[in-house]
Amino acid sequence: MSGLLRAEFLKMRKRWMPYVLFLLMLAGAAVIIWLIGYGTWHDDDDPEWAASGFRTFAYPYSVPALLDSGQFWGAAFFVGILATSTLATEHNWGTIRPALVGGVSRARYLLAKLLMLMLVSTVALLLALGFGVLLSLWATSVADTTVTYPGSFTAGDFVLMVSRAALCILPYGLLAFALTVISRSTALGIAGTMGYMTLEAIIVAALGTGGDILQGSRILFLGHSVGALIAENRFGDLGYESTSFRDLEAPDQPGIWTATAVIVAESALLLAASFFVFIRRDVTVSHG
Amino acid sequence: MLKTPDIEHQPAAPEHSDVVLRTVGLTRRYGKITAVDALDLEVRRGQVFGFLGPNGSGKTTTIGMVLGLLRPTNGHVELFGVDTRRDLTGPLKRVGSVLEGASAYPHLSGTENLRIWSMIAGGVPGGRIEEMLSLVGLSERAGSKARTYSLGMRQRLAIAAALLTDPDLVVMDEPTNGLDPAGMREIRQLIRDLGAMGKTIFVSSHLLGEVEQMCDQVAILKSGRLLMQGEVSSLVGQGTALEMQVTDVERAVTVLSGLDFVKTVRRDGVRLIVETAGERAADVSRALAENTIYLSELRTRQDSLEDVFLEMTEDA
Repeated sequence: MSGLLRAEFLKMRKRWMPYVLFLLMLAGAAVIIWLIGYGTWHDDDDPEWAASGFRTFAYPYSVPALLDSGQFWGAAFFVGILATSTLATEHNWGTIRPALVGGVSRARYLLAKLLMLMLVSTVALLLALGFGVLLSLWATSVADTTVTYPGSFTAGDFVLMVSRAALCILPYGLLAFALTVISRSTALGIAGTMGYMTLEAIIVAALGTGGDILQGSRILFLGHSVGALIAENRFGDLGYESTSFRDLEAPDQPGIWTATAVIVAESALLLAASFFVFIRRDVTVSHG
Repeated sequence: MLKTPDIEHQPAAPEHSDVVLRTVGLTRRYGKITAVDALDLEVRRGQVFGFLGPNGSGKTTTIGMVLGLLRPTNGHVELFGVDTRRDLTGPLKRVGSVLEGASAYPHLSGTENLRIWSMIAGGVPGGRIEEMLSLVGLSERAGSKARTYSLGMRQRLAIAAALLTDPDLVVMDEPTNGLDPAGMREIRQLIRDLGAMGKTIFVSSHLLGEVEQMCDQVAILKSGRLLMQGEVSSLVGQGTALEMQVTDVERAVTVLSGLDFVKTVRRDGVRLIVETAGERAADVSRALAENTIYLSELRTRQDSLEDVFLEMTEDA
């Protein structure tokens, strides 16, 4: 497995796309802290907006704000694009065939790809978060205002917040992974993942206006459970300027453990579907 | 990897046998189309085995099944005596393959591409990558990105990758496709050299001259069915004919058709092709002269692989 992982790392290290995506993540963190957070707080006359802007850039409020946006855009862009591109290009370049006929089992091959994607995504997203936190500390010092927050904020809280966000990125990454394994297409993988994220936001919102059964059926959608976990990251019930277009105030979100169970179960399903299809399907060759 | 239920209890060749590759009733259907139909092949250690067939005859599909990329509808493959339904990855470690449409990572150099394959294979001895690049004549461009390679160079890189782990069996699907004449000659020579080194080579092609020059065994496939399998030397020598020009073609056909040692007489423009043993040339000449028909040219002609192939594929 180590040889496979080293091969995956060499392939990914030599591509320009992960670096571009990473730079976009850093730019996104800067926009959240300075433009959406500090800018709103500094320039908006509406005290409610100004307070919301303050809770976006001021440390430690900035941590949930960054994780929220990072989960939404990070999952959609960084993890989704990286997963689909890494998998589909092997089909496009025809390099998947020599790998599989070299005596590597299909399960190991796919597992190596998945592990490398998880590793690279984790490192990149943590670095982007770290960059965002540094910007937040800088902006907080520039603001020269006392920051007070309910309760405490320990290293353990920070780890828990990051873990919740990671759990929320996982199913969308696996959705991109599964869609690409099944479709063998970068375009379908990315469009499918982003299309799902957009559609589920609309559908969950629409179902929320219906009766008990319709409201209950929202549990089938990842976004509903993800929203519950991300909302748990907030300090009390204090909101921030979110770029992820999700309602964190919904009173009828599932409990934290129910949401976790749904996310884990749906992730497992996506993973199983990916491996089942990849192991069983023909790897197409032209018919000579 | 690919598991097929209901494995029939047919004994596989023992691992120490010199049968390197065997297909047993290998069949692949795509809906109503049968791409490969109950194919029984046997490739022995040290053979350079030519797998011939017109385009669309099922060669690539067969290779896909041999290498585990495609799931057979029926039948099975044995590699080194191991039924690949039970274990595919083990025997495949002893196989190198060059698949149609040479593939490489375009953003990596030739050396890096081979390094990738080496890592996937679990490592190769130091210097092996440079040795293989030199063998296929890519040393000078080893540091260039594969996207800058010509098709011929990518093909040679694929061959280097196939030989990286020093495999016992090398499977090549149309290895000279897309190459210029000089490149084709280089690859043919390389295949002959590998054969001389004792490697078993299974090479598919629709270029008959190429197979005749490289291979010592051949199988001919048409519409997914095996037409024949045998030694190239015996096939090429199989049909001998006399080719001649005579003063009266019409009467010559009548006279020659009446001779009991002549199998067939056919016209090829102004010439006659008389299928008979070469040593019967004097008898043919005498029979024609006795009927006041005179020869202006007479020579023996041995069937080329192309003749055999065309005869078989047209008849089938």
